[in-house]
Parts: sequence; structure tokens; C-alpha cells
Amino acid sequence: MAPRISRTFSPCLRQLRRDSGLPQKSWALALRSISTSGQQSAAVSAGVRPPIDYTHPTKPPSARPVETRKSQLIRTYTSLLRTTPLILFFQHSNLTAIEWAAVRRELKKALLQVPPPNAAPGAEPLDITPLVQLQVLRTNMLSVAMKIVEFYNPEVAASSVNTPRTSRGPVIHDLSEAAYEAVKNIDVPADSSFAQIEPLLVGPLAALVLPAVSPAHVAAALSVLAPVPGQFPAPTRKKSPGFHDPICQNGLAKLLLVGGRIEDKIFDKAGVNWVGGIQGGMDGLRAQLVGILQGAGLGITNALEGNGKSLWLALEGRKIQLEEENKAVDGEQKVEQ
Amino acid sequence: MITKFMTEVTAKFNPFSTCAKPARLFLTFLPPTARSSGMAITTTLLPRHSTEPSSLRVKFKDGKELDFNCEKINIKGLVEEVDRHSRQLQKTADLTD
Repeated sequence: MAPRISRTFSPCLRQLRRDSGLPQKSWALALRSISTSGQQSAAVSAGVRPPIDYTHPTKPPSARPVETRKSQLIRTYTSLLRTTPLILFFQHSNLTAIEWAAVRRELKKALLQVPPPNAAPGAEPLDITPLVQLQVLRTNMLSVAMKIVEFYNPEVAASSVNTPRTSRGPVIHDLSEAAYEAVKNIDVPADSSFAQIEPLLVGPLAALVLPAVSPAHVAAALSVLAPVPGQFPAPTRKKSPGFHDPICQNGLAKLLLVGGRIEDKIFDKAGVNWVGGIQGGMDGLRAQLVGILQGAGLGITNALEGNGKSLWLALEGRKIQLEEENKAVDGEQKVEQ
Repeated sequence: MITKFMTEVTAKFNPFSTCAKPARLFLTFLPPTARSSGMAITTTLLPRHSTEPSSLRVKFKDGKELDFNCEKINIKGLVEEVDRHSRQLQKTADLTD
């Protein structure tokens, strides 16, 4: 019964609604003109428009949702990539938590045996051993972060007109719209370091992060994580029995060094081994350079001296010869007298 | 992926080439206990500028060997091919039980 009524009355009801629409609208208009709050203040603000520039002091506007883990990972990785000169990438295939613990323990043990570096005069000696970390990365977020670090220049974005601005300056942080636009549709140049490392960023990745380029630490880490017989020999069974523990060995077998990023350049395993094999670290390299320069200086002074010396020798020889001749002439004259 | 009938996995790839992806992902598909349960896994890294395509060789318990050129196949294809043989072995193993 009820549906039939509604069907028969529905045209009438619709008509009623249409009729009542007009007075309702006029009522709304009348109310708007009477009321003192709401609409009126909105009209005032539309003329001046300061609130659009208002930003929270610690929450600038962002193109990505800031609360998500992924966004925060991007921020973490960009700061990591900007501050860390030496990162080695490992593929980790299903290591268990116990194996990770064992690998990290052995790594720490090997790094502790690295002698602390000689401090530069007047500087605080900086020991990076406790700062070396082996951490698991999210590959895709790392790839985004690498793009941002390489192809997004905040200074250029700050001077650009299209960058949105607030009262606290242009919005140019890593999650900003400017950064997002810069990396969204970019043609990656073939010679950029991102293009080189892109094929590496596949599957589960872990990174060994060193806050300074220290070949001694690289060598110590490689001797545990990717030993090369001869160059980076694995620790002996006597010295570190934990390394030869089956759990640790199992974990290390699943870790695979695929490449490294050293001072924005991409190195493969051989390149990383070369960096680890630099004798004496940066100091050693400097000493070699000084040696080369000194040798060159010595050569130049010898070469420049050589001409003068030979001239002096010739003149000296001639002088001695002349003196001898004079003596001889004097002798002859004495004999004649 | 059925891994319990594999006895030997040999992967060879240059991580700096795009065709290393299937081989690397295949390694991550192996369970954490693969080595302790008797599977021999060998990985060879090619130098950076080598143009040799990456390859994967899988040996099964019945002696069958599968050889893949990873340039032609993706990880889904790899898993499919390997599982096809594994399922046959599974069937015979179920029938003999």
C-alpha cells in the first residue's frame, strides 16, 4: 500500500518541493544579510588574504602526506645521502633476526680493531667507529630520495617564481611540491650517478653507512662482510670464533655486496675493494702526494742547477787552465832572466 | 615458489645491468633455511662493464637442470618455469608416499 501512495503522490510532492525552493532561497539570502558573523568575515578576509600565508612554524605545507612512514623515510634518506660520503650497498636475501644480530656483532668487533686516526693539529680526534652502521633500507623510497638529492636543487627552487611561498619563505623542503615536480617526470641523463645506480636498486637492500671516507674502516668491514682472500682476509678462527659460527656464516652467505656510492660516485665491487685497499687512508694518500710533489721539486732544482753548474765548472776549469799557463809563462820569464 | 626439490642454484649477474633483476629477485625468493637444508647456492658477480647477460642455473633432485638467460625472462616467468618442474616432482613424491 505504502509504495503505491508514494508513487501517486510523488509528482505532487516534487511540485511542492519546487515551489518551496524559492522562498527558502530568499530566506537564506535574507539571513545572510542580517547575520554579522561567518559570511561577512569571510568577505573581509577575501579582500586582504593574509591567512593563506599562515603556516605552522614546524609544519610547512607539503606535497606528500607528512604523517606516513614513507614520507618520513624519504626525509631520512635524503639527509642520509647528503651527509654520508660513503655508502656500500648489500643485497640481503631473507636473513633472520639472529643472523642479522650475529653479522652486526662481528662487524662491530672488526671495526673496533681499527686504530683511531691521527688527529689533525688543533682538531678534535674524530673516531667514526661507533657511527658505522649496517641498516636495512626501503629500496623504492631510497630511489625517490636519490632522485631528489641529485635532481632537485632547493636554491634554484627558492629563486623560482612558481614556488609557493609563505610568510616564512618559499616552501622548498624535500617533501614540498617543488621537489615533487622536479623529480616527477624527469628524463634521467645517462651520465648522471642516479642512472648508474638505478639498476642496483632492486630487491631488498641494506647499506653500510660510514660518515667519513676512511679506507681503514672499509677494509675492516669488507673483511667481515665480503672477504677477499689476500686483500681483505676473513678473521681467523682463533681470533674471532664468532665469525665462524654457522649462524653468522649463514647470514654472511646471504649478504651480497653489489656496489657503493663514494662521494657521489658509483663504484662496483672492484672499485670498493680499491678504496678499501688504499694504504694508510687519506693520510696515506696525502703522504704519497707530498712525496710526488717533493720528488718533482727536487728534479726541477736539479735540472735548473745543472746548466749553471756546468757553466761554472767550465769557467772554473778555464780559470785554472789560464792560471797554470800564467804560472808557466812566469816561470819561463824567470828562467830567461 | 616450491624450493624443496632444488639442490643447486647458481646465479651469475652484473648488478649494474638491468638484466640482473630476475636473477637477484630469484635469490631473494629462496627461504632463509635454504642453505642449511642442503641447497648449494653460488652467486658470481660480473664486473661492471661486462656485457655478458646474467644467467641462472637451477638443478633439481632428479638431476634435471634448468638454464635461464635472464635477458629474455622476468621473475614471474622464472618462477613459473621452475615451479612447473617442481610440481611434477611433488606429484611423483605424493604418489610414492
